Amino acid sequence: MSVFPEEWTMNVGQYVDDFVRNLSIAWAPLFDFIFRVATMTINAIDDALMFLPWWVFVIIIVALGWYFKSFIWGIVFGAFIFLIGSFSLWDDMMTTIAIIITSVFISLLIGIPLGIWMAFSKIFSGIMRPILDAMQTMPSFVYLIPAIFFFKLGNVSAVFATLIYAIPPVIRLTELAIRGVPNDLIESAESFGSSKLQILFKVQLPQGLPTIMTGINQTTMMALAMVVIASMVGAKGLGEQVLVAINKIDIALGFEAGISIVFLAIIIDRITNGVADKFQKHRRIEQ
Amino acid sequence: MKKYLAIIFATFLIVLAACGDSASNEDIDTIVFADAGWDSIRVHNSIAQTIIEEGFDYDTDVTSGSTATTIQGLRNGDINVYTEVWTDNIRDLYEESIDSGDIVKLSVNFDDNDQGLWVPRYVIEGDDERGIEPLAPDLKTVEDLKDYPDVFEDPEDPGRGRIINAPSGWELKDNISEKIEALGLDETFNDFSPGSDAAIITSLVDAYNKGEGWVGYYWAPTAITAQYDLVLLEEPEYDEAQWEEDSTTAFPPNDVVVAVHKDFPDQAPEVTEFLEKYETSSELTEEALNYMEENDADPDEAAIWWMKEHEDIWTSWVSEEVAEKVKKALD
Repeated sequence: MSVFPEEWTMNVGQYVDDFVRNLSIAWAPLFDFIFRVATMTINAIDDALMFLPWWVFVIIIVALGWYFKSFIWGIVFGAFIFLIGSFSLWDDMMTTIAIIITSVFISLLIGIPLGIWMAFSKIFSGIMRPILDAMQTMPSFVYLIPAIFFFKLGNVSAVFATLIYAIPPVIRLTELAIRGVPNDLIESAESFGSSKLQILFKVQLPQGLPTIMTGINQTTMMALAMVVIASMVGAKGLGEQVLVAINKIDIALGFEAGISIVFLAIIIDRITNGVADKFQKHRRIEQ
Repeated sequence: MKKYLAIIFATFLIVLAACGDSASNEDIDTIVFADAGWDSIRVHNSIAQTIIEEGFDYDTDVTSGSTATTIQGLRNGDINVYTEVWTDNIRDLYEESIDSGDIVKLSVNFDDNDQGLWVPRYVIEGDDERGIEPLAPDLKTVEDLKDYPDVFEDPEDPGRGRIINAPSGWELKDNISEKIEALGLDETFNDFSPGSDAAIITSLVDAYNKGEGWVGYYWAPTAITAQYDLVLLEEPEYDEAQWEEDSTTAFPPNDVVVAVHKDFPDQAPEVTEFLEKYETSSELTEEALNYMEENDADPDEAAIWWMKEHEDIWTSWVSEEVAEKVKKALD
């Protein structure tokens, strides 16, 4: 059996450990500020969702389904939501939706500008690509637990971990969308004397919107996939119920909470896809 | 071509059948232990493994996983021996496994463990070295927490305190919630469920390094209680009736047992006899954990150190002949 020479081993992990600990103390005010803003956002969304009477929420879902897909889909979505409520997982569902909305909102806020920047700068794009690869492949437990040092136990650590996992698709697809806009369109816009900003906002972004919507759809789905893992740092919601079920080998609860997540995934996927389709059709009519 | 395929397929089936045979409840060559993820179970595994390998000439192996998955493995027979089943933490699951006859309890490893709500010592006494003033000087019992919600502030809900409960799905979690309500602590404190064991530890370490207030559920002996200076908040002595009613007493003793799969006593009767005598204590277990912490040792090293230190204890579990063989191997 061959052995790696002992004198060549080094403790890289230790430096990362020290770095994380020192950073969490030195930059405490910044993380505190982020923590407060994120907590307020999540709580506000959660409160607003909980404030809605349950039947209003069902009607809103049916209406969204009807508008973006079809009447039948609307009814199916409404039935899904009703079923989740009948598993007595209503509050958990609302918390999960609040966490996902917050995560996706922050993802878009950071992701779309980064994607635009990558589309315009080859160097930046070259730097970002391996980072995005790392974000998608690094096992989430690795950054999930240290997140507690910065953002305490609870929903904010969960949103942070979700962000790392879910943000790459929207960045990548925004870059792709803007690079994919045909050159003749840009040239004709230039010939009318448009500035770079005008081209970006009036030509490239509208043209790329369907692709960007696909990115948003994927980011949302990945955020949903993180809810169970995120509950390991104290996030509430459907993920926590799954965790309880796993720890007790409670197959009944596991099934109810699990299928509820699937229902949410179907609804969110079909609706965001429907939005993308609407943009697509809209664009064709314009052309 | 078809013929060849048929022959290959037949050989395959025969091999499979042979494998199936050796896995049935005749004899076993390799005894599989469960590693549910904490240090003390690894030390106990290593002690038992050393004795079994050197004294009884079996091979041993370890399968790791979460508590729930390893218990399921023990029920299925994929795992043969479990050296630390914390029975109260998985009460329903444990009772179901015993009642159905899937697993057999051989001995109580230790039952003098502490569990409950802990705070770092500096919260009560301060820490001159680190310049920390006592945050809650008169805090002694769980009920005293009432006076100090601001010391243990919930960052997500300023103005209220936060008590960190047991990991999601643990049986004790409901008892702690009951306790919090019965003592009226829920008026000023939020009952926070941290999700996982790792999350409890990380939040404790974070608070400890920053010298902040922290109160939450944990248990001893563990590497964490060995490494950090924590104080268990006092509670009235355990009383079954009171506990059933509103959980406002100290925790009942949590039996930590050695359990095996139902076929194991037939498969390895002499090892079963040894494991039936396996008994340590919290203090003895904590010694090994302290050794690990102080010497940066792994559980196997700690186990060997422990066996050398406490020869009188483990030699009483086995026959003289076996003890001699193991002793020789240790030197």
